[in-house]
Amino acid sequence: MTLSTFIFKNALRNKRRALLSVSSVAASLFLLVTLQVALRELTLPVESAGAELRVCARNKVSLTNPLPARQRSIIEKIPGVEGVTSFTWFGGQFQNEGAMTFAQFAMDAKATRLVFTDLKLTDTELAAYQAEKSAAIIGKISADKYHFKVGDHFTLDSTIYPGSLEFKIAGIFSGTADDRMMMFHQEYLDESIGTPGLVGMWWIKVKTAEDMPIVIKTINDAFANTAAEVRAESERNFQLGFISMLGNIKTLIASISTVVVFTLVLVTASTMSMAVRERFRELAILKALGFRRRELFVFILAESFGLAVAGAIIGIGTAYCVYTFGDISKMTHGIFVSFEVTPHIMGLAALVAALLGIISAIAPSLAVARMSVVNGLKTLD
Amino acid sequence: MALPLKYNFRNVIVRWRATLATILGIAMVVAVYVLVQALAVGLEKSASNTGDPRNVMIVRKGATAESSSQVSLAQLQTIRYWPQIAHDENGAPLVSADVITLISQPRIDGRGEANVSVRGLTPIGLKLRPQVKLVTGRWFTPGKREVAISQKIARRFTNFHVGDSFRTAGNTLTVVGEFDGSNSAFDSEVWMDADEARSLFDRQNYSSLLVRVTSPQAAQEIITRIEADKRLPLRAEAEVKYYGDQTATAMPIRILGNFLATAMSIGAIFAAMNTMYASVGARTREIGTLRVLGFRRRSVLAGFIIEGALLAAIGGVLGCLLALPLHGYSTGTMSFNSFSETVFEFRITPWLAAKGIIFSVVVGVIGSLLPALRASRLPVIAALKSV
Repeated sequence: MTLSTFIFKNALRNKRRALLSVSSVAASLFLLVTLQVALRELTLPVESAGAELRVCARNKVSLTNPLPARQRSIIEKIPGVEGVTSFTWFGGQFQNEGAMTFAQFAMDAKATRLVFTDLKLTDTELAAYQAEKSAAIIGKISADKYHFKVGDHFTLDSTIYPGSLEFKIAGIFSGTADDRMMMFHQEYLDESIGTPGLVGMWWIKVKTAEDMPIVIKTINDAFANTAAEVRAESERNFQLGFISMLGNIKTLIASISTVVVFTLVLVTASTMSMAVRERFRELAILKALGFRRRELFVFILAESFGLAVAGAIIGIGTAYCVYTFGDISKMTHGIFVSFEVTPHIMGLAALVAALLGIISAIAPSLAVARMSVVNGLKTLD
Repeated sequence: MALPLKYNFRNVIVRWRATLATILGIAMVVAVYVLVQALAVGLEKSASNTGDPRNVMIVRKGATAESSSQVSLAQLQTIRYWPQIAHDENGAPLVSADVITLISQPRIDGRGEANVSVRGLTPIGLKLRPQVKLVTGRWFTPGKREVAISQKIARRFTNFHVGDSFRTAGNTLTVVGEFDGSNSAFDSEVWMDADEARSLFDRQNYSSLLVRVTSPQAAQEIITRIEADKRLPLRAEAEVKYYGDQTATAMPIRILGNFLATAMSIGAIFAAMNTMYASVGARTREIGTLRVLGFRRRSVLAGFIIEGALLAAIGGVLGCLLALPLHGYSTGTMSFNSFSETVFEFRITPWLAAKGIIFSVVVGVIGSLLPALRASRLPVIAALKSV
């Protein structure tokens, strides 16, 4: 019998306890991974390849205040600006469906490809979209979810503007940071509400990354002291602003994660002590046979580490499978659309498990180290 | 059926060291469950504290938030003189035409900006919301660019205390008062004069109307009259119902709470099982003795299940106690409905605490079921012989 078989047999001598310990570690790590992924999804700015060259300009008062359409020609003339489109939240809902569906934005159809360089759409679909005023293009995720095909018609009731609009799908795109949204013609919206000359935001494409800070400053200065002062920022900062609005939710999830980890340590350490207490006599015999404290520590550590790692593999593996192959938007009633278990998070959970294995071994090892052989041999249970 | 209850009860106390980890583990689970549910309760409470049964709220048809609703001056003039609307002592109709705008302001902790709801309203608007009480300073003067801010919001943003001033829409607003909204939705708002707000934010229209009706029957009449009048693209609703519908924001938190409770309790059940199995294993001889003394198998079974439940209940109570200091602590997040910062309190109701304890007992019973079965099935002679 080699030492590793000895450790292995010891770990499984009480199969039920080993199973229960592994299961409780697995359940907790599953939860930890879920919380960390949720935290990441909530705080992650939506990144896309074209984002470094895009500027978002909103009303300085707040995102919900509109901007005058007349600002457009001023922005277009700024050196370094390649394309400008309006970006107006329509807030449409399907009739009789209260829940949020997908975001729809009214934009300048001609500038769409210029500004959204990462948009993947066939030329025929783009041409069809630009040709017809009531045409719209929709991201692949939403198209799949609502079973939309090119040529479909549907009506959305706006929660922002009076009335509703009928759209025809001219194309299905992918490749943007958010392949859920729908884009349609700003003119179509304007006509339906009597052309008030207002837009939601401006999204601007700059020529090079060096132009970015200059363009941002020029836009901000251009509209200072006007009826509608503008706050321009890089797309990344704009997205980060959204996250800041979530407020204390982040702290809440982070503190729950801490509690989960703490509970995990507590329970596992207690199980480990239980397992060691049960075989005090055997460990005393090992001592009597000449095994050193260090070696006994390795026995206990290896066992506790092994149980924790087994739990980690099951817990993290289950989380990975559920969130990678399951329909997360159905599970969370549409709150989360993507729920990516990243290598980073899996690594973090594995690290927690490894530390757990080590910490749990400390107290029982100390007890064993302190025990005198005679007392250990006398122990009855 | 005689139960070895005294034995089981004393056992929990005598072997407290072995059971402490289980108790603490369950306590943590219950604390997290209670706290997350307390957030949902707080959000729902804030909605239910808002409406006054005598008020009717009028917004644009199809608008889901007051900030995206519009009511024109002409519509206001039409509705103002309807006979169903109550009048104050001076004979003025009790109608408050409000303007809601969101302004982006820096948070006090320096972590970026968030939207805050600004409500423009008139002295009649104050009269219609008696739950809102001034705490320090004074109310804003109509015609001046002054604001009164909810204490809870004032704590969360920079320059929001009495005496401070902040800039928005190219103008400076001075804070002259702080109010307490009695845990209503108004605790998340900044209040100022309606017409100043309209000019400041360049609004021709109002956002919503709040009217006091003469009787519950009059309320129904207004609702049906607006519904029937095709020239008015508006929707009237009892104020209570309007805010009641806003509780949808609490849904994600409820889901999170339930998910956490489920996942954590699975872990806790395994841990409780482990403890109970170990404790049954260590007490084989004692169980044999109980059987010799005449306790039946099912008594031993019931006794051990009760022991597990007792253990878990102690954990449950402890968990509630751990959660209790956060009761009344206010926190905030963005409401997806109003798109602005919403503050609410952790509210631990007796019913919620009871639910937490019941939950812990369920965990204890499930966790001790199998070990108890094992205990009751031990053969008497073998059990007595074991060392």
